[in-house]
Formats: sequence, C-alpha cells, structure tokens
Amino acid sequence: MNTHLLEAGLRIAGLILSGLFVANFVAAKRWDYAGNLAGTEVMVRQVFYVHCAYIIAIIAALALLCLGWPGLLLEGGMARIVCGFFGLFWGSRVVVQLTYYDKETRRRDRGWDVFFLGVFITLALIFTLATIYQ
Amino acid sequence: MKELIQIGLLIGGCSLGILSIASFWIPKVLGWKEKLAGLTPLMRELFWTYSFYVWSSHVFFAVLTLGFGDWLMSGTGAAVAMNGFMLFWWSVRLYLQFFGFDLTEVAGNRFNRIAKHLLTLLFTGLVVLFAGLLCWNLGWFEPGGLR
Repeated sequence: MNTHLLEAGLRIAGLILSGLFVANFVAAKRWDYAGNLAGTEVMVRQVFYVHCAYIIAIIAALALLCLGWPGLLLEGGMARIVCGFFGLFWGSRVVVQLTYYDKETRRRDRGWDVFFLGVFITLALIFTLATIYQ
Repeated sequence: MKELIQIGLLIGGCSLGILSIASFWIPKVLGWKEKLAGLTPLMRELFWTYSFYVWSSHVFFAVLTLGFGDWLMSGTGAAVAMNGFMLFWWSVRLYLQFFGFDLTEVAGNRFNRIAKHLLTLLFTGLVVLFAGLLCWNLGWFEPGGLR
C-alpha cells in the first residue's frame, strides 16, 4: 500500500473524527446529559464532564493531526506505535459498542447504532492499515 | 540538561505507571458503583466508557515516556506535537485539581488527604516534565536557543 493512499486514508479519518467531535456535542443535548446528571453527586457530574472533555480533546487533536499533518503519522517507528494505539483505541470501541452497551437502547436508535459502528470500524481499519503498511 | 530530562522521563514514566495501576482503586474509594446506580443505563455506560479511554490514554503516555524517551527528545515535528498535547493534557488536569473539582463530598480522612497531595505533586511534575521536553524539542535549551 503506497504512502499517498495511506495519507488519503488518514485525511478521511480526519474528516470522520471532525464529525465525531461535533457529534459529541449533539449527543450531550440529545441524551440530556445535564438533566440525567442533575440528581447525582457533584463528584460524579464533574468526573463525567472532565472525562468527556478529555475524550473530545483526543478526538480533536487526532482530527487536526490527520487533516493537517498526516505525514507525521507515517514517519518512523514511533508513528507506527501511535497509529497502533489508535487502531486499538477504535477497535476496542467497536467491541464496547457490541458487547457492553445496553441492547434495548441500541435497538431504539438502531440507525445511529449502525452508523457509529460503521464509523468506529472505519477508523479502526484506517489506523490498523497505517500501522501495518507504513 | 539532556541527562536531567532523561531522569525526568524515567520518574514521570514510572509515576504514570503507578497512576495507571492505582486508578483501579479510584472507583472503590470514591464509591462510583453506588453513586452511579441511579443513572440510566446509557449514562452509566458512557461514564465507564469515558473512564476506560482516559485510563488507556494514561497507559499509552506511560509506555511512551518509559519506552520511547529518545523519540520524545528527537526534536521532530511529531515529538513537538506529542509533547505539546501531553503538556496541554496535564496542565488542564493540574488546573482542575486546584480550581475544578469540588471535593467537599469526598471523605476528608488521612488516606484521601495524602492521595490528593500526591496527585497534585504528580500533575505538577508532569507539567514541568512535558514543558521541559517541549522547550528541548524547540531548541530553547541550546546556547542562544531562546531569542
């Protein structure tokens, strides 16, 4: 697999990640995070929002890297380690979606469930291919 | 300076490793399972999923810091980007330690007080380490580097 194709794949991943970045804010509204967390202890609310913010930060930083400097993810042994980590990161997200998330909730929103499964599988594939073929 | 940063990487990497292992006790100490019981299944799942991915990022940082110190000091664009990101990550966490978290609901026993001070020390150390690494990669520690 040539470098141009891998770079194109990483740029596509960047676009998908940008969409995922926006989707996190839409999800917060759609599933009413604020309302659902209103009855919990302050600590639980804060940990939830902090962890959520850090995940959004990872997605934003990776989107920026993929869109702006995909070459950095294809140069040398360290790039392979970073791509490998994100291959695992998104691959495990597929497993989490299929085995951990509530089946009833997934059934109610089947369209979004399948859509996000597709998104996570695509990201896992791109980063795994970038790990193997660079 | 190079030796100092290498020692910092070793200490920082070991500390991140200890943090990753100690993180397994956080849910128990803070009683997350009981406190999350009243949430909807989706919110509970989101909470644990976010926690797992933040934890896995800490493990990744520990692996990078302990196993790939030479690369983190290589002066390449990728090293600048990674150090910059880790500096941002721990700076935000240090800010939250002082101004973000409301710890009034956490029991003020001796164990929790010591844990809090150790975490503050760790986050401060990591901010210093990654700020130092960023400066190193930008060449600011070389003679005449800061112009």
